[in-house]
Amino acid sequence: MITTAHQKIGTPSITTLSETIDNETSRSRIPGNTGIWVGIFCVLVEFLMLFSVYFIARIHNPEAFLNSPDKLLTIAGTTITLFLLSSGYCMVKAINAIRSDQSKTAFRWVNLAIILGFAYPIVKYFELSWYAQHGINVKGGIFFGTYYYLTLNHLVHVTWGLMGLIFVSYRTVKGGYTSESYSGLEAAALYWHTTDILWIVLFTFFYILR
Amino acid sequence: MIGSAEKTWFILMGLTILGAVVGEAGNVGWPLTLSVVALIYIKSSIVIDHYMEMRSANQRIRNVLRLFIILVPMLVILSFAWGEEIRRFTTLS
Repeated sequence: MITTAHQKIGTPSITTLSETIDNETSRSRIPGNTGIWVGIFCVLVEFLMLFSVYFIARIHNPEAFLNSPDKLLTIAGTTITLFLLSSGYCMVKAINAIRSDQSKTAFRWVNLAIILGFAYPIVKYFELSWYAQHGINVKGGIFFGTYYYLTLNHLVHVTWGLMGLIFVSYRTVKGGYTSESYSGLEAAALYWHTTDILWIVLFTFFYILR
Repeated sequence: MIGSAEKTWFILMGLTILGAVVGEAGNVGWPLTLSVVALIYIKSSIVIDHYMEMRSANQRIRNVLRLFIILVPMLVILSFAWGEEIRRFTTLS
């Protein structure tokens, strides 16, 4: 009777301890690798500075920032956001696949992420062409100067991200990642998600906020 | 079968379209500013915790990311609420 009661009390406490250790181990895990986080934090600091430029320009020119967003194509900004976030979803699926040692499935998801990611520069090209046809360029005032400065800067970072995805796609098809070792794939995905966060902010600043 | 990644994707798509609708509605002032702040914070939080899986990863890194997505909406509120004061503070002449 005493032994049974002891077991009843003891077994759950051992399980709880095991779960606690697993949880602690998980919560100290650095996703991807340390190098990618140095890069990501540098990009975040860089964009925090660029956002400061946006706010200073906005505060000094409230009229320009009140009326000019109406001239931008919200449909283009929305489409880019949908493509980027869908591309991010594909990278989530790629990571899940590689954790199950499904390299081919992961390869397909990474390639779909690349295709959706390339939709961004394509939509951007048509958007900027439309602006050029309608006389909206960098000389069109402080709002458009800030718009081109920040969004083209973001496009540069998306280009780095796409190059990273192409590289990990090649590594995936060559069997470079397994469920035990996939930090490179995860690092590329993390950088890609960071560009998602930055675009969420930029989309809101230029296309929605008045 | 709809998994957690699919649900996250659906929510992000919905919030993006909602944001576009709010922007096109032509609202200005505090309602739009607060909506914008909420959209930035919610969408970025979802990306950090569900796409990047930071909820179950290193909490220091997660906290830095969260600091970023708190600072940016705060800048929006600061520029809207104290625009005139900041304008005077940042005028060189």
